[in-house]
Amino acid sequence: MSNSHNNRAAITRRAYAAVALRTMWRRAEGKFALIVLALWLAVALVSLVWTPQSLWTTDGYHVWAKPSAAHWLGTDGTGADVFSWLMAGSRTNLLIVLLTVVVSALWGLLLIAAMVARNSALASTSVVVIDALISIPTVLIALILAVPMGASIAVIVIACGFGYGLNLARVARPAALLAARSAYVESALANGASGWRVLVSHIIPNNLPVLAVQLSLSAGTAVLAESGLTYLGIGVPSGVPSWGHSLATSVKLINVFPLTVLWPGLIVTVVVVALNVFGDVLRDAIDPVANPALRQTAGSAGKEDER
Amino acid sequence: MRFVIRRLLLFVVALFGISVVVFAALRILPGDVASIMAGINAPASRVAQLREQLGLNRPLTTQYFDWMGALVTGDFGTSILTGRSVTALIGTRAAITFPLIILGLLIAMAIGLPLGCTAVLARSPRVRAAFHVLAIIGGSVPALWGGLLLILLFGKGVGLVGILPSQGFPLDGWGKPGSAIVSLILPALTVGIIVGASLMRYTRSALGELAGSGYIDMARSCGMTRTQAVLNVGLRLAMPQLVSVIGLTFASMITGVMVIENLFALPGIGNGLVTDVGNRDLIAVQSELFLLAAFFLAIGLIVDVLHRVLDPRLKNGGNVAEVNA
Repeated sequence: MSNSHNNRAAITRRAYAAVALRTMWRRAEGKFALIVLALWLAVALVSLVWTPQSLWTTDGYHVWAKPSAAHWLGTDGTGADVFSWLMAGSRTNLLIVLLTVVVSALWGLLLIAAMVARNSALASTSVVVIDALISIPTVLIALILAVPMGASIAVIVIACGFGYGLNLARVARPAALLAARSAYVESALANGASGWRVLVSHIIPNNLPVLAVQLSLSAGTAVLAESGLTYLGIGVPSGVPSWGHSLATSVKLINVFPLTVLWPGLIVTVVVVALNVFGDVLRDAIDPVANPALRQTAGSAGKEDER
Repeated sequence: MRFVIRRLLLFVVALFGISVVVFAALRILPGDVASIMAGINAPASRVAQLREQLGLNRPLTTQYFDWMGALVTGDFGTSILTGRSVTALIGTRAAITFPLIILGLLIAMAIGLPLGCTAVLARSPRVRAAFHVLAIIGGSVPALWGGLLLILLFGKGVGLVGILPSQGFPLDGWGKPGSAIVSLILPALTVGIIVGASLMRYTRSALGELAGSGYIDMARSCGMTRTQAVLNVGLRLAMPQLVSVIGLTFASMITGVMVIENLFALPGIGNGLVTDVGNRDLIAVQSELFLLAAFFLAIGLIVDVLHRVLDPRLKNGGNVAEVNA
């Protein structure tokens, strides 16, 4: 019986996701965001098995070459193919963004849990600690980490995850507090639900729109942070493809073939715009107040339950 | 008052925490500070000598308290590479970074404030949507790329209209103010445009919220046009919020312009720190990291306390986010 209940819950969840996706697709900016993000994912996957030229073929006779049929965006100072590196960079950036979002979500939710805790000493301390730490810029945290760790993906993920988690907690706090003081939470607690259970099944779901916007903003900022930190030599280590690496290479290309400079930055800009837009559209699509289609799904699911 | 004391206590605790983290970050290096500073091929005797010179063979706690004691008396140590005191190093670097970010902030305000106001005042939904798109794109451009595009447009030698220098700062610094300022124009423009886009977003949301409020209705019923009401009454009401955003932005630009300083080869604070990390000038790095972190913690403290003072609604234990919500 519990199995069938789980099945039904899964079906409802899938119906929700389908409705939300359809709502996003219906808007022009939603279409844009979904297409760009799907392309990113596809290119990242393809680059694992195929790139126009091998990343490691260097051609000493054709360094700083102009774009040609063999090298669509030319070659860099070692004769490696710029386009292939750009393509392969998408998988590193995808990994960094996913890890950063996961780390900042876990860290942020932990902080939110502390801030809405019933233990008032814990709650008030965590608020003040967040206010104090949030003023330290992500770059500075990355630099402190880079001293012992050197250039590594972990530096980006930890520094960004830490900073964006603090931000997430601060932004989500008012709504989380509102949910924590609501009647349904009170009744859940009165029925013997534990604090953690309330957090997972009431407070988080009720703040999903805010969290979605904030996390996709973080994802966009993480892409920008990667390009900056890698350029400074404390992000993705040299020899690993990433968009930051491509951007840094394009700086050296500026005297050779200026138009090649346009592409890596353009790709980063388009992806960051898509992530920002994605957050906004997702919020509107998963918020039952803003999206009537979602309420209808809930209504029909309720009827199924009665049968 | 209780809030101020508690916040001050926390500031001290956070300062202590950061100092420990920075100190530890330099001691858990694979190998030790001396062998890294001496270089890979240095003979053992040189490493031992350096270790002696830097006092690295003393117990960790002694090293930490000596460092702290020196910091308190204003002695931030000496850069091994250049032999100059860290205080002097930071001074020369600040003489580049601060003019750069002041110029950048002025450009950002000249771009962001009028555009933000126009975005609120515009009647046509198309124009409003265009401003929205502009703000999103402006906030999504990597600083490095923005700088590159400006170099491609205006940089001497490579640009379409090659009129501005894009590399380095005059060697005699502010000896020749004219050429010093000129060398800051392109980097400041890059920072200004990027920060201007975020300033525009803040202005639009702060003013936009007020534009639908009773204050504006009141002003209009007194005979002002909508434009007059938003600019005279709305802007005045949004001022505290905008001032604190601009203040925080200014502080964050000190490290925020790191990439741009690097691209335009300006030896500023952020760029200098990255160079020192790359050169393994670790005694200087240790003090610089701590000083910067302390600076940002202090800014956070000042902003929090000021907010309480300026906004009486916060006095009864509320917080900023709740009042704004």
